[in-house]
Amino acid sequence: MITLTQICKTYAMGGETIKALDHVDLNIHKGDYISVMGTSGSGKSTLLNVIGLLDRPDSGQYFLQQKNVASLDDDTQAQIRRETIGFVFQTFHLIPRLTAFENIELPLILDKIPATERRSKVIKALKQMGLERYQSHRPNEMSGGQMQRVAIARAIVNEPNILLCDEPTGNLDSHSSADVIAVLEALNQQGITLLVVTHDAKLGKRATRSLWMDDGQILKDETQSGALISAHP
Amino acid sequence: MSFKDAIWWIFKAVVAQRTRSALSILGIAIGIFSVVILNSLGEGVRQFVLKEFTQFGTRIIAITPGKTETFGLGSLLATKRPLSLADAQDLKRLAFVEAVIPVTFGSGQVKSGRLSRYTNIAGVAAGMDKAWAMTLASGSFLPDDNWKNPRPYVVLGHKIKHELFAQGKAEGEWLHVGGRRFRIIGVTAPKGQFLGLDLDDIIFIPAQLGLQLFNRNSLMEVDIFYREGTSSKAISQQVHRRLMARHGNEDFTIMTQDDMLAVLDRILLILKYAAGGLGVISLLVGCVGIITILFITVRERTQEIGLLRALGMSHQTLWWLFVSESALLSLLGGSCGILAGGFVVVVVGFWVPLEWQWFEIGIALSIAVIIGVLAGLWPATQAAKLNPVLALRQNP
Amino acid sequence: MRTLDLIRFSFNTLLRHRLRTFLVAFSVAIGVTSVCLLTALGEGARRYVVTEFSSLGSHLLIVMSGRTETTGGMPPIYGTTPRDLTVEDSSRLHRVAGIKNIAPVIAGTSLIENSSSSISRSREVIVLGSTPAIFPIRGLTLGQGRQLPAMANTKATPLAVLGSKLKHELFGSQAAVGQWIRVDGRKFRVEGVLAERGQSLGLDLRDMVIIPVQSASQLFNTQALFRILIELDQYASEDKIKLDIIKLISEHHQGHNDITILSQDSILSSLNEVLSLLTVSVGMISAISLLVAGVLIMNISLITVSQHREEIGLLKALGASSNTIMALFVSQALWVAAMGAMFGVFLAYFILYVAGLLFPDFPIQAPIWAAPAAVSVAMSCGLIFSWWPSKQAALLAPVIALRG
Repeated sequence: MITLTQICKTYAMGGETIKALDHVDLNIHKGDYISVMGTSGSGKSTLLNVIGLLDRPDSGQYFLQQKNVASLDDDTQAQIRRETIGFVFQTFHLIPRLTAFENIELPLILDKIPATERRSKVIKALKQMGLERYQSHRPNEMSGGQMQRVAIARAIVNEPNILLCDEPTGNLDSHSSADVIAVLEALNQQGITLLVVTHDAKLGKRATRSLWMDDGQILKDETQSGALISAHP
Repeated sequence: MSFKDAIWWIFKAVVAQRTRSALSILGIAIGIFSVVILNSLGEGVRQFVLKEFTQFGTRIIAITPGKTETFGLGSLLATKRPLSLADAQDLKRLAFVEAVIPVTFGSGQVKSGRLSRYTNIAGVAAGMDKAWAMTLASGSFLPDDNWKNPRPYVVLGHKIKHELFAQGKAEGEWLHVGGRRFRIIGVTAPKGQFLGLDLDDIIFIPAQLGLQLFNRNSLMEVDIFYREGTSSKAISQQVHRRLMARHGNEDFTIMTQDDMLAVLDRILLILKYAAGGLGVISLLVGCVGIITILFITVRERTQEIGLLRALGMSHQTLWWLFVSESALLSLLGGSCGILAGGFVVVVVGFWVPLEWQWFEIGIALSIAVIIGVLAGLWPATQAAKLNPVLALRQNP
Repeated sequence: MRTLDLIRFSFNTLLRHRLRTFLVAFSVAIGVTSVCLLTALGEGARRYVVTEFSSLGSHLLIVMSGRTETTGGMPPIYGTTPRDLTVEDSSRLHRVAGIKNIAPVIAGTSLIENSSSSISRSREVIVLGSTPAIFPIRGLTLGQGRQLPAMANTKATPLAVLGSKLKHELFGSQAAVGQWIRVDGRKFRVEGVLAERGQSLGLDLRDMVIIPVQSASQLFNTQALFRILIELDQYASEDKIKLDIIKLISEHHQGHNDITILSQDSILSSLNEVLSLLTVSVGMISAISLLVAGVLIMNISLITVSQHREEIGLLKALGASSNTIMALFVSQALWVAAMGAMFGVFLAYFILYVAGLLFPDFPIQAPIWAAPAAVSVAMSCGLIFSWWPSKQAALLAPVIALRG
């Protein structure tokens, strides 16, 4: 489903160039549950951004569903993000002035879906996340866990194939974290490809496949056969 | 906070928000620019018109027959009590009078050889060239003949000479005007238009012959040029007394150049300030711009303001900092506007009458600063009112 | 993004920033209002002149003696020439087809006295010697008495019609009709008094006296006419009649064409042109303020973009194209401009309405094009000045934008 070959990405930071990705090769299959771990600055977020088409690699090839996407123009990439990729961020990135419903509705609006159809899709996503009661709450009226579930609902509302999560539990307490992880894993069970960047080793180990990164390179790529499925580790 | 520190603080605040400061400045600059340009244009037009009117000197009074309130029509109408050549002659003897020019205007056909033209005809007298600041291209002007019985000489305007004689010499030739022969003795240099009358498409003949030609008993106007050392008021009183003695009642109108210029100048000044006023509208919009930007700045810097207050900055200092920032933006905008305006005045001033006016431009700059201070008041008060504890807590 | 969603979304953003939205809209409104009001002043002046002219009756020709051949200068208004226009010339013109009324005019100034009153009141005023035709031609109506009789066409009859102001000066509130006045010593009987209205284009007819043209000719001892006023039939061709008049007059002036004919329509149209030009230039100058408002829109757009970087990043991550982002910000600016413009037009028309109530005589009214022009300039400013900031937003890299 996803094939990265020899992906490189460097940043200039304060006069120094940092190799965020250094000739990375990676294959991801449909339905995978992958965790990406490493210290901060190891390049894991950059990897996520490149896969999510938020960032362009300096060199290398990126095939997404047999399509070379690295060199596509901005708007085509935006369209691919709209249709096949969902994002979950550490800081949720909900728009504060919009209600939960409206936040979830955003991707559908961008996709030019008519209002009635949008409504049923949003309601469905809200139900899936168990948020029906909160649909008209604004972010500042919700707990961190609830906000992250809204963000996940937004990520899946237009039924993407891939869900990319950047430290999804980084801003949450342990209870909410477990809650969010359960939701994400349930989605994976339904067939969505899940990629979670985290520096929480316990969370990382739950994935069927774990990547360890350092200095822009994938050091370790393990597949756990007997991954735990239970919601509460 | 010392004055120097405050200046440095404001300067850094302005520079830190380069783009928005620049755009605020641009807004005010456009406003001041238009005030400057429109004001210069108004003043340019005013001076141009006044120069047109004072080109014949300022020590002039004009007497027209008839006493009516209808401005300027008196000289065109028929009257039973004419202003005669004898009246004009008599006025010559008054003290301080330098020259008296009897004037009658008309139009008619003039012929020379086989060529003929319809043109303006002015009946005047010697001295008129000096009085009206006309110069001759060639020949001489009408001689100082007896007004009652002048020799039939004619001076041609520049354009009519060209149409009748092209490049050839006109002096000494005969010109037929209304069945009478006049000898051409001079040609005027190009002069241009005055109040719609083409002073090049005209011929000058002695006043008496003009009256005969047009079969009129009254002069249209008598222009009196007086020497320095007296006032227009004194001289017009003299003229008034003399004409009253001759006519028995007031059947003439005296208009001094001063009166006319005063009326004209009042109109032109109103026009000028109206034009400048149009520019002020833009300045007003620029002022709203500064208010808006300062509000946003206050809101964005809420935390910083809270910190400053927590560190012990007083209400007043804070208030002054914001007001001064606003005033500085305005001052910079005003200066840019004035520089740009000055540039345009210098460059375009070659073709269009533009007059740079330090005084009004000083006022424009003061208006800009005042507007800046006023624009700063509201946001500054908001900033000074902020509760430090709440301000610190608030997210930007 | 669908257009409707786009509009809703950008409008919501504006509502979040009510104060700045209000201030920017207000600045646009100032510009639009001033354009509408100032052009309304110009237009009012234009309408005033047009009504004044049309009250004189349309299709009017003014014939005067004298002519100059160079173009550009003023026509020879002093009307003095070696060969004058005469009353005979004027009566000959009746032969020209398409003419409805002809009024020869001799104009002079005279001393007028009320000879029947014991208190001698005298005034120096303009005397118009003419025929009864001058009344329809200049649209004069009588307040009291009658106009000049038909006999005044050809004979010197000692009859006079007074302007309303002159009547008051001479007779106060007493009846004037039937009383005698002296015009430069000659006795005339007052036949009528003009109705109050009578200021027409500088000539204050309220302070004049009208007598038969032949009487004026005797009084001033002249045959020379000041003007001939000619009213044309409604469908007559102005150009043809002009040529006919010139031909006829030339025949009796030894073949010389020494007259100038002005047509009221051409004077009116050139005045109209000048005043319209003035209106347009005043409008354009006041539109500079819309430019300043545009700069403000640009500034606010830039600030809004910088304050919403995170949101832009999010929208991009969710798959918004750069065009969508751009459209979002441009439409915000357009919203503000539209609201300001609307408010400005409303305010302008409100002020004009109030002004209309206060000064019913001056036809102050914004030209039809003013509001649409001001609104479109405002909208264009919104579009043009938000373009660059919106482009900045659209070009933001999503990764950088997401960091806030």
